[in-house]
Amino acid sequence: MKWGKWDRRRVLSAVLGLFSFSALTAGLRVRRASAEWLRPPGALPPGDFEAACIRCFRCAEVCPPQCIRFDAWLPPAEADTPFVVPADRACTLCMACTEVCPTGALGRIERQPDLIALVVKMGHPELSKDRCLAWNGKGNCHLCHDVCPYRNQAVTLSGDRPRPEFHPSLCVGCGLCEEACPVDDQAIRIRPLSEKTKAPS
Amino acid sequence: MLLVPLLHLIQNVADSAGVTTSPWTGWVRGLPSLGRPAASGAPWSVGLYGLELLDPLATLGLLAARSFSWSWLLGAVPAVVLVVFLGRYFCGWICPYALVVGASNAARSLLAKLGVRTYDLKVPPATAYGVLLILLLATAVTGQQVASLFYPPAVIGRALGKVILFGSAGAGAVFIGALFLFDTFVSRAGFCRSFCPGGAVFRLLSIPSPVKVVRHAPACTNCGACDVVCNFAQSPMTDRLDQDCERCGKCVAVCPTDALGLVLIGGGKKSPGART
Repeated sequence: MKWGKWDRRRVLSAVLGLFSFSALTAGLRVRRASAEWLRPPGALPPGDFEAACIRCFRCAEVCPPQCIRFDAWLPPAEADTPFVVPADRACTLCMACTEVCPTGALGRIERQPDLIALVVKMGHPELSKDRCLAWNGKGNCHLCHDVCPYRNQAVTLSGDRPRPEFHPSLCVGCGLCEEACPVDDQAIRIRPLSEKTKAPS
Repeated sequence: MLLVPLLHLIQNVADSAGVTTSPWTGWVRGLPSLGRPAASGAPWSVGLYGLELLDPLATLGLLAARSFSWSWLLGAVPAVVLVVFLGRYFCGWICPYALVVGASNAARSLLAKLGVRTYDLKVPPATAYGVLLILLLATAVTGQQVASLFYPPAVIGRALGKVILFGSAGAGAVFIGALFLFDTFVSRAGFCRSFCPGGAVFRLLSIPSPVKVVRHAPACTNCGACDVVCNFAQSPMTDRLDQDCERCGKCVAVCPTDALGLVLIGGGKKSPGART
């Protein structure tokens, strides 16, 4: 076989091959990147979770809004483990992932709003009043309040010009507010639970 | 189990068409609702109408991380029982990587026709025990389930899911692509034969298996077709078979004189060579 003949057809097919290979391997691209990624609802505390998650993809598979992402381009500790990037797509609290998890890395939770409010803690809300349109006077937005599954509890509007106030103890951290926030660098962020703010189970 | 990814494809298409949000509980009307998706998972972990199956390697990894649940043991029981009985059949019949091995074998013969040199490095199959041990040790030390990153059925399961849901396979495709190149240029079915951690588990479990390829000597013409077709360097022609035999049946199919058969040994009733 002669390798020296690089005519147009061969160059084009090589380029096409490279292109399709990189498209296949590029991994997921999130629409809007977030500084931090969250674990799906019902996740064991950090450490216990990694020990129990066999990276089987079943949670992502059953997730109706497809908010659970698996990124293989991460260090081995986190590669291909489930993450939610709320700025990209937030959790709708359906609890389907907790029903299929084969190892209990995501503990099973019934689909009852009251129970979910008590048990689920994916992260805690952090509102930047500088960036929030209602607070900095650039707008009259209360999308975060409108989309919140626990509105008037986790998010309340107050004042004659309604401004959102977040109440971390009542917030489950689903991130629907972060997804809805129209500011490019979202004014409301759901931060992952650090060791200190770990929810009591 | 091989059909499960296909079911998901249908499920996903049905979903995006807005048919229903939970197709397998709502779509298949006649079946009782389980309150959860009735079919999910790839070979690594399967949920099928309430039955939970787990790869024995996944169970070993979970135990290596020093925690315990009866459901992990129970999930592995069907696979263990089947492998103890049928031998290393998983590798030949269920594992999706078998398709990649087939492709790399086809590439090998194509390259041979084109006159491109390929190698067939024979790494000792026992190397896989080392890989298994290293992965379990790494799991125990780091507390992370790392085996699933280097086990083709798990990788392919995730990669397929990612292609269906997100349109891209990610690093899993690079891993499988690298294994394909290794199998094609360096060693025939080399990963399965010498490095696969799950294969090592099945290799151990298949030792007592009573299902074996048996040669009916009078019919054998010593043509060697069976030895050539085997991916795992088994030699049915000279009756040299070990626990690496994956009971794929290619040697049985290729034999021109029907001298080979997959036979259930034991009970003392079947003589070697008797057809089942």
